[in-house]
Parts: sequence; C-alpha cells; structure tokens
Amino acid sequence: MQNKNSEEHKIPAESTESPENSNFIPRYLDASQLTFTRSPVGTAQLEISDEVCHLRVIVRRLMPLSNPDKYISLAADEDAEIGILKNPTDLAPESLKILNDELDKRYFTPTIKKIFRVKEQFGIHEWEVQTERGRVTFMVRGLNQNIKQVPPARLFVTDVRGNRYDIPDYRELDAKSFHQIQRHL
Amino acid sequence: MSTADTPTGTLDELPKSIEETLKTLDIQFNEIRFSVKSDVISTGTFGEEWFVLTDAAIFTVTGKGEVIHYIPYQSVFGIRAEMVVDAGLLVLETQEGTVDLIRYSNGCAAKFGFVARFIGDEIAFRDGERDEPPLWDYKIEEHSCKTCGLPLVDEYSPCPACTKKHRVMLRIVSYMKPYKGRAIIFILFVIIGTLISLIPPYFFRILVDDILLLNEANIQAPDGETTWLGAIFRAIRPAAMALSIATGALLATHLISTLFIVLQSRLSAWLTLRIAANIREHVYEHLHNLSIRFFDKRTTGTVISHITEDSERLQDFMLEGLSFLGRELFVIFGIGVLLFMMDWQLAFFVLIPIPVIVVGGGWFWRKVRSLWHRAWRRRSKLFDVVNDSVSGIRVVRAFGQQVSEVNRFDVANVDTRDYETKAEMIWATYYPPLMLAVNLGSLIVWYVGGLDVLGDSMTLGTLIAFNAYLTMFYGPLRYISPLINWASRSMTAAERLFEVIDSQPEQYDDGNLKAMPNILGEVKFHNMTFGYDSHKPVLRDINLHVKPGEMIGLVGHSGAGKSTLINLICRFYTPDSGNLEIDGEDIKQINLKDLRRQIGVVLQEPYLFSGTIAENIAYANPDATMEEIITAAKAANAHEFIIKFPDGYDAEVGERGGSLSGGERQRISIARAILHNPRILILDEATSSVDVETEKKIQQAIDRLVQNRTTFAIAHRLSTLRNADRLFVIEKGRGVECGSHAELMEKKGIYYKLVETQREAANVRAEAQIVER
Repeated sequence: MQNKNSEEHKIPAESTESPENSNFIPRYLDASQLTFTRSPVGTAQLEISDEVCHLRVIVRRLMPLSNPDKYISLAADEDAEIGILKNPTDLAPESLKILNDELDKRYFTPTIKKIFRVKEQFGIHEWEVQTERGRVTFMVRGLNQNIKQVPPARLFVTDVRGNRYDIPDYRELDAKSFHQIQRHL
Repeated sequence: MSTADTPTGTLDELPKSIEETLKTLDIQFNEIRFSVKSDVISTGTFGEEWFVLTDAAIFTVTGKGEVIHYIPYQSVFGIRAEMVVDAGLLVLETQEGTVDLIRYSNGCAAKFGFVARFIGDEIAFRDGERDEPPLWDYKIEEHSCKTCGLPLVDEYSPCPACTKKHRVMLRIVSYMKPYKGRAIIFILFVIIGTLISLIPPYFFRILVDDILLLNEANIQAPDGETTWLGAIFRAIRPAAMALSIATGALLATHLISTLFIVLQSRLSAWLTLRIAANIREHVYEHLHNLSIRFFDKRTTGTVISHITEDSERLQDFMLEGLSFLGRELFVIFGIGVLLFMMDWQLAFFVLIPIPVIVVGGGWFWRKVRSLWHRAWRRRSKLFDVVNDSVSGIRVVRAFGQQVSEVNRFDVANVDTRDYETKAEMIWATYYPPLMLAVNLGSLIVWYVGGLDVLGDSMTLGTLIAFNAYLTMFYGPLRYISPLINWASRSMTAAERLFEVIDSQPEQYDDGNLKAMPNILGEVKFHNMTFGYDSHKPVLRDINLHVKPGEMIGLVGHSGAGKSTLINLICRFYTPDSGNLEIDGEDIKQINLKDLRRQIGVVLQEPYLFSGTIAENIAYANPDATMEEIITAAKAANAHEFIIKFPDGYDAEVGERGGSLSGGERQRISIARAILHNPRILILDEATSSVDVETEKKIQQAIDRLVQNRTTFAIAHRLSTLRNADRLFVIEKGRGVECGSHAELMEKKGIYYKLVETQREAANVRAEAQIVER
C-alpha cells in the first residue's frame, strides 16, 4: 500500500523512551500539533507538526458509551495506534469538524429522539421512530433478547436486519414516547 | 476482463431515471453491470444512495441522480467492506489514494460484503493473482416469509403470521387424537357438571317461595307463579317434610356436582399431561435432527427454554387454565341466559357493572402484570449481583472490596424493594374497588328486585335465586381478563414450540443421497469458500487433496479458519461455493448417517455425558462388548487410571466429567474415538491445557489412534504435529502453505515464523521457570 511509504516515522523529539518501552506507554497527542485535512477524494488525513503525515486516519472512541466526546484514539491502520487525543475541542475548528465527521462515519448507531409507535404482531414489534439520522421504521423480534439495557436507563434496540438503535436515557423521552416502550421494560 | 457471467441488476435494480441521468453525463460506458442500493447517504442520514458498476467505472449516485464518486475501474487495485460500529463502509484503494466510497447500515452489510468480495476477486483475476474469474453466487441472507414478507429468524423457521392462533389451538387439539374417547367424555363431564352447578339456586327459590313462605298461611306467593317442581313441593304436607326433601335434594345435587368435578379434574390431568408430554417429546426429538445452523442463531438458553419453560407454560395452562376457562365461559353464558329468562328487566341492571368489571379489570391486570414483570426483572438482577460477588468471593476479599460489594447489593436491593412495593401498592389500592364494582351489582339487584318484591311483581325466592346466580356470574368475570392474557401467552409458548417442530431438519435419509457404508477417507477441497454469514467468508478458495490414511496438521493463528474447516468436513455446514468431496463424491450428496458414522472427533474440551466411564467410552457403539471397551481404553492410555478408581469402569464421571481431570477426560474421549473406529478422524487441540507428562501419554494414545485413518489435527503447540504427513497453513481464511515440516521450514514462510515464535516463547518460559526456582 502506498500510504506506508509516506509515513516516514521520525522519533518524536520530546520522547526520551526507548523504542521498546514506547509500546507500553500510552501516547497522548498534543491537540495544537494536530491538523486534520481531507484529500482530494475525501479521505481524512492527519498531520502531526514536525513529525509525519498519515494519509488515512482511523478515529475511535475509547469510551463510546460513557464519554463519547473525550479520549479519541487515532490510528493509521486497524492495528497501528498513533496516539490518544484527550480533548478534541482543543483542535482548530476545521480540524475538529473533520474529526467529528469521521467519528460520525465510524459510530453510526442512530439515537432515537421520539417514538411514534410500537406495534406488535406475531412477536415482531414494528417501531416507528425519529432519529438524528432521520425518521425510520424497523422491526424487532422478541423484545427481551433484542433490547439491551445499560444501567441506569440506556437502551440499545437491535432490529431484524442487525441495525442497532440507541436510547441514551429512556426517562428523558417525551411522555408519549416513553409510554410506547415502558411496558416492555 | 470477463464481464459475461455477471448478471446485471440481480442485486438492486437501478431506477431508469438515474440510469438516464448517468447516460447524459459525459462519461463513457456501454452497460451497467450491477447496482446496489444503500440506505444511508454520505452525510450519514437515512436515505437512498447507489453504488453502480459499469463496464468501465464505479459510480456512487444519490437518489436524485447526482454523481458523488466516479472512479475508473482500471485504477482500482483494492476493495474492502469495512465494518464500523453498527454500519459499514465500502473502501476502495485506487491510484489516487484511499476512497471511502459509500456508507450503509448493517442491514445492507450482506450485499456490500458480497460486492467487495466479488470485485476483489475480479481485480485479483485481472492482476493475475487468481486463476479463474469469480462466480456470481450471491445468496439472499435476509429471510422473510414468502407469503406475507414478514422477516424470519432463518430459512428453517415457519412464518408466525401465517400460522394463525386458532391454527395453533387446532394443532394442540390434534394431539388429543389418540385419546379421542376420553376427550369426548371429558367434554361431556364439563357440560353435565356445569348444568348441575346451576341447580342449587333453583332450589333456593323453591325453598323460599314454595316451602318457607307458604307455611305462613300463604300470605305472599301469588298462585300460578310457580314452576312445576314448585307445585309438587307445595303439595307436600307438612311443610317440614317438604323442607327435608328439598334440602335432601340439594345435598344430592352437591354430591353429584362434587363427583363430576373430581372425575372431570382427574380426566383433565390425565389428558393434558399426556398432550404436553407428547408435544415435549416431539420437540425434543426434532431438535436433535435440526441443522447446526439452527443452534448458531439461538443461544443454548433459548433452546433449553423452548423445551422446559415453554412446554411447562403450555402444560400449566392446559392443566388449569383451559378447563377453567372452558367451564367459566360456559357458566357465564348459561347463567346469563338463565337470568334473562327469570327476569329480563332485572337482568339488564345486572349488566350495568359489567363494563366496569371487564374494562377496569383488564386495565388493572395489565398494570399489575407489567409491574410484577418489572419487579421480577429487578429481582433476577438482584440474584445476579449475589451470584456475581459470591462466585468471586476470593477476589472480593483479596482486593478488600466487601463494602463496595455490599453497596452494590444495596442499590439493587432497594431498587427491587421499590418496584415490589409499587406493584403490591397498586394491587392493594385497586383490587378492593374492583370488588366493590362486583358487589355494586348485587346491591342494585337487591334494591330494584326488592322494589319488585314489595310491589308483588316478583317473589322473594326468585330474588334470592337471582342473587345466587349473580354471584356465580360475576365470579368468573373478575378473572376473565387475566385468563385471556394467560391463554394468549400460552398460545405464544405453543407457537414457539411448533416453530421448532416446523423448522426444517437436516436431510438424513433422503432417498437421493448416496449411501457410503465404507468410506476410504480421501478428502478433496476445490476452490471452496465458506462463511457463517456468506458475506463474511471465513475460508476462501481452499484447495487441498488429502489421500486416504494421510495425517494433515492444520496450522494457523487463532481465528484463521481451522475449526471452520473441520466443521465443514463434519458437514455441520455446507460450502458457499466450490466443493468438498469425500472419496470423489460431493459431500452434499452423501448420506449423512453414513458420513457421520465414519467421522470421529476428539475435542479440546472433551464432552462427557453423565454416566459411567464404560458408558462414555461406548457412547457411539452402545453394543460394544466389555473386551472392546477395555481394548480401546488400553490403547488410549486410559486403562491405567481407570483401574485405580474404586468403581473402576463403573465409576460415574459426574456432570460433564467433573470428577475427572482434563487429561483423564481427554483419554476417555480418545478411547471413545478408538472404539468408534472412524475412517476420518478429527483432533481439535487434543493436547492443549495438560501437563507435559500427561501430554506424552495422550500423544502416544493419539499416535495409535491415527494409524490408517485420514486425520485432520489442529494444535497450537506445533511440536505435537510432528507425526503429520503434511501441514496445511491457513492465514486469514486462505490456504497459504502446504507441505511437510522440513519443506515448510526450508521455505521460511509463515510456518517457519510460527515455529520460531513458539521456540522463543518456549525459551522465555523455560528461563522464567529457572528464575522461579
């Protein structure tokens, strides 16, 4: 692959660790050194000042459920972590936008904002909901197995096609939406 | 590049309007080879976006026909379907760099996974890395009912919508067929019993009107307003005589009624338990013939609950609910008619509280049930907490976390308490008012009926009888709503049971399958590809020819696909494309019984069934003689430890062989395989997790076992494969190297690296041991 060639890895100036040890110590990246850009074909790239430019960067949340906006792991490849960005809001606005777009691409799970109705037929529940990704209708089989509750009140609903939907806190849904699901909890 | 064998439009048909738009663009193409629709657009919202492959380029187009990406096919040198969280991303490697081409939800992952595989293979063929162009073998993974389109668990499941509830009821009834005579008698008993239970209030009326009141010089009862039976009692003098006859008759009625209840309950128990047991047996028997795939899609817990809970629920309902429901419905109907016959005006007043009872009762039971259910879930969570911390009590103590564990319990405990309180409070608050509604009915009757009695348009006896019927009438009404709920839940349980029965079994004795009583053991894979979900191939283009009696060591990292290969040889699954032949015969065409009878397995975690050692060794051949068992045990190096047990070969192995050590269990399972005498033998990590001494014993046993059999052996410790004739190295689902140990070491490829890493690890371990000492 060609992106390997361009990743000339210079040992970071501030790092005094020996190469063996550097694998065992998490590397926290300095937001002011990072610039996210997009290639002409739209691929997210990461430039670390005075160091290296990664032609494709993979972004991952370390705590996607409890703290999705902090602790972002940046990687050049599935297995090659570059480092951890503790607080993305320290990035320049254009970089932050690209990072957020990439996070959105990697974490698809639509969040349910409103539940219009849940209709049961033959053990299959048809949900009609509003998510931040648009209004959808999906089918859920056997609610017990396909609604996973994360304490205290987060719900993950998996539909028959394998898509998963997130209700971050069912107690905060509006009354009508709450009424639609409360009897299934 | 070959484009001939790609049927166009077999995935999703591109709308004509988009096709027209593409044609107006200044882009060269002759035909659209195929197009796939995604349900997510590039900004991440749900919508329509298209992937289009023409003879010269790849496009992505919005639902309105706006081109997002246009990439010449020639410039593409890699493609992959990347799984992200709850969605997918088709990524192209092109000469311009990496392109995130199109997004899609999990629901489209199968289609795009196939597209990536197909195009990837085509590119590999173009670049000369592959001998043949890929086949267009797309299979629809989403299973839905052919009649109504409802999504199903898998291809084996029946459609729940098309199996109607009443059909379920009829099927339950059909299990009654063998007991037809008793069933008819039962129904007769129910009818007669109910009719008899209607008699006592009738006697109340005679007692009051024709005996007790008549004694007082016939003040009230108007002549003529009596029944024929009443007239007979009026004729009997003295009145005390009539009284004793009437009470005697009442007693007789009660006795007969009790007798019928006894008979009917006994019959009902006899019948329903038999039906339930028959259904259970049917389900269980069927379960053992189902394809392994059926079990992949369901957890062990689900399958077990099918047999235990669902059938128990059905049985409970049939035993108590069904006859109760039948009887009470009959009573309600019978008394309703009777009440109207006695006094239709008064009967109307009786109806007033009914909506309150039925609607209010329905609401009440729903509310209480959901609360109880929630409380029950809290309670089971509470048990989880207890289970968790008691099982890990050593860890809790070691880290000094008693207080936090107690706190964790407290939180769950308070939560449970609150929900249970809520449920009980609702019950305590609403149940008495509900009873009030019932009592209100009889109040109305007393008042309105009382006015009639005062006004001489009704006798006192009629009023009393009326009230007695009323109690019988309202009683079941209170329970009708939960009963109907119960019935519907039991029908759902029955449905789930029938779902298992209706699932398609493996074809064992299809007449078309080839009988192969004597397999030689030649195994041949040809371009075989397989994935548990066909869009995620675990094994790709496997080619391997194994001669009868050869021993093949399967080598590779964990997750490379070694165990999957073995699952295919056992024909737990069938290849998605390419083929697998045994003795030159396609494995799909071989009689399964013949095949499995000649395959033996020794697994990493040998599964022993509860029973004696001898029984476990003879598991596959229950008719084996004691001599055969001992020979097998001896060959497996098991005899030596078996004789040390006080009970010898009769020693119970305990649940899952719990009373034996890992090495002992392993040797018993080897003895089992030796006795089974298979033509094809599978050893799956047979020597892992035992000490060196035991490993040597097991290794010896295995060496005896593999002689003259085609053997496939998986081992993490490569040294245990030293007897293998050839080693087959699997890397990420592809067969990458094949040859003897010496040949592969010479090649210095993947196998060489694996051996080196293990040697290093072994050295480190050895050093560590020296340091410890």
